[in-house]
Amino acid sequence: MSEAQTHGLARYGRWLQHSAGQSFTVGIGAGDGGLLWSDTADSPLAEALAGLPAQPLAQTPGMQRQGTSAGDLFTRAVALPEAAGDGWLLAMARTDAAPTDIELDALADAMDDVAAALEDSTHLNAEMDLLAGELAERYEELHLVYEIDRHLANQDLGTEVLQDLLQSCAEQLNADVACFVRPADNLTISATNLSKPIHNLDLVLVEMRGDLFRFVASSRSTVVINGTEDPRRAYIFTDMPYKVLACPVFQGIDMPAMLVLLNHADKPDFSNSDRRLGEVMAHQIANVMRMQGMFAEMRRFTEQMAAALIEAVEAKDPYTRGHSERVHLLSMRIGQGLRLRSEEMENLHWGSLLHDVGKIGIPDAVLCKPGRLTADEYTFIKVHPERSYEILRHVDRLKGAIDGARHHQEKFDGTGYPHGLRGTNIPLLARIIAVADTYDSITSSRAYRAGSTHEAAVKEMTRVSGTQLDAELLDVFLRICDEDPALLVQLGVRREWDDQ
Amino acid sequence: MKRLLVVDDEPHVARVLRVSLAKDGWAIEVAHDGAEALLAIATNPPDVMITDIQMPGMGGEALCHELHARYPTRPFPILVMTSMTARDQRDWARALGGIEFLEKPVSPRRVASLLTQMLDQEKKHV
Repeated sequence: MSEAQTHGLARYGRWLQHSAGQSFTVGIGAGDGGLLWSDTADSPLAEALAGLPAQPLAQTPGMQRQGTSAGDLFTRAVALPEAAGDGWLLAMARTDAAPTDIELDALADAMDDVAAALEDSTHLNAEMDLLAGELAERYEELHLVYEIDRHLANQDLGTEVLQDLLQSCAEQLNADVACFVRPADNLTISATNLSKPIHNLDLVLVEMRGDLFRFVASSRSTVVINGTEDPRRAYIFTDMPYKVLACPVFQGIDMPAMLVLLNHADKPDFSNSDRRLGEVMAHQIANVMRMQGMFAEMRRFTEQMAAALIEAVEAKDPYTRGHSERVHLLSMRIGQGLRLRSEEMENLHWGSLLHDVGKIGIPDAVLCKPGRLTADEYTFIKVHPERSYEILRHVDRLKGAIDGARHHQEKFDGTGYPHGLRGTNIPLLARIIAVADTYDSITSSRAYRAGSTHEAAVKEMTRVSGTQLDAELLDVFLRICDEDPALLVQLGVRREWDDQ
Repeated sequence: MKRLLVVDDEPHVARVLRVSLAKDGWAIEVAHDGAEALLAIATNPPDVMITDIQMPGMGGEALCHELHARYPTRPFPILVMTSMTARDQRDWARALGGIEFLEKPVSPRRVASLLTQMLDQEKKHV
């Protein structure tokens, strides 16, 4: 009996003491015969209780009189709060003289009042505990939802989001394994919070895509299998002696995936609360999938629009076919070599792909003219980066990429166009694209000449290093070429020895 | 029985924890602010303390500082409940050391597993 509970009882004891008056000594006894509270130390009630014949608590309502060796004991059954269970309100007369009827009536009334109040409070307490239990469940759900919310708010929707969600889920529900299974893509993402090892975990994860998935898909609702003898185990992968909680993940009426939680057999059963939390989680995963789908579609749309723009440029000049792709490939390799942040890589991606979009504005006669251009014709060419800018500035998503396209014809010594920027005043992305663009222009074939070999291109680019091209970036590029000759094969660049 | 002192001016938190942790064998005692907690600790230190930050009278931060001053050897682990928004305001706890954080609304399951972990760690230290 904790202090708080004794204190709670003392309040009722004192109430009984006041109401019963001076003629009685009073106390509260436990159902097992112990004395929980009394108004005096060394109370005769203890002895009287001990002398009481062992019997189940009298269910008769109202005060009872029982003779004991210590004297007449007045008792009234009462339900006690907390774990104390059933007990008695107790009283004995203080004097040898028998209490008067009026005194006894007053005592009986007092006991009724105190017992009613005690029982009310006990019931209220029990009810509040039930509510607190409910509240605890809601707290769990809310906590999980907040957790999910935080993961989603802090990240773009890559696959690592699912990984993180599963990890939270495993920890939150204290499950050994939480995994996401999407058989159509042979995809299983899992997170573990193992209470002890699962030796064939990989196999278990793979097997889930088969029987267990089909079973959940056909029931179209959450499946909980706790018992080892559960007959439904016949329908799932048989070598899986774990407790299973599997929630379908819906997209509209389709069920493309499921969320599965596994526990070792010696862990507690999956409860209704686990089931509800699992379903909350499955709903959130469904939302993530839907958003991922929308993101992918947006991304695809942007890619396709970009491809259409590039196609428009290349349609004008068949000899530049593939140029944008190759410059893109080389630029991205340089970007990786420089360990650019993902945001810059994204800008480099679009800037390098679309750097020549402005060529749409150059008359065919100039763009496709074999041989040298006149000064006037060259003016048309010099306008194209600015044209690229004018075209791309309409697209918000390409804001960060525009500078790369606009300034890719600037030269390091400030003699380039359109703005004659010098050195590191030229945006980094533009300097990267310039290296890639120069290399591809030298090595690819044009209307009026065949493409040069890699070695010739390197020689020429080294000659203009520091004047036309950023020397540091050129070094990075040349290192990449040395380390990865396969890249040049992929680009279709001729090598010196090809001519021999 | 392991004893957990819950310091919070909102009684439902203690009740929720009492109901959820009873099955793991935790007895919950309640203090409604820092001053009450100090009294309870002086008479009978608990195995673990969980405290809210914002309370009328002595709040959680002041309580932790006071405990640190009175008992430099830290007789029991402390968990501090905080709102999501107060994530950055934890430097004081780092300075005191050995304080774990829980975000409100607290998940009783999370508390249960944290309590077990903390006591295991304590045992290892001893």
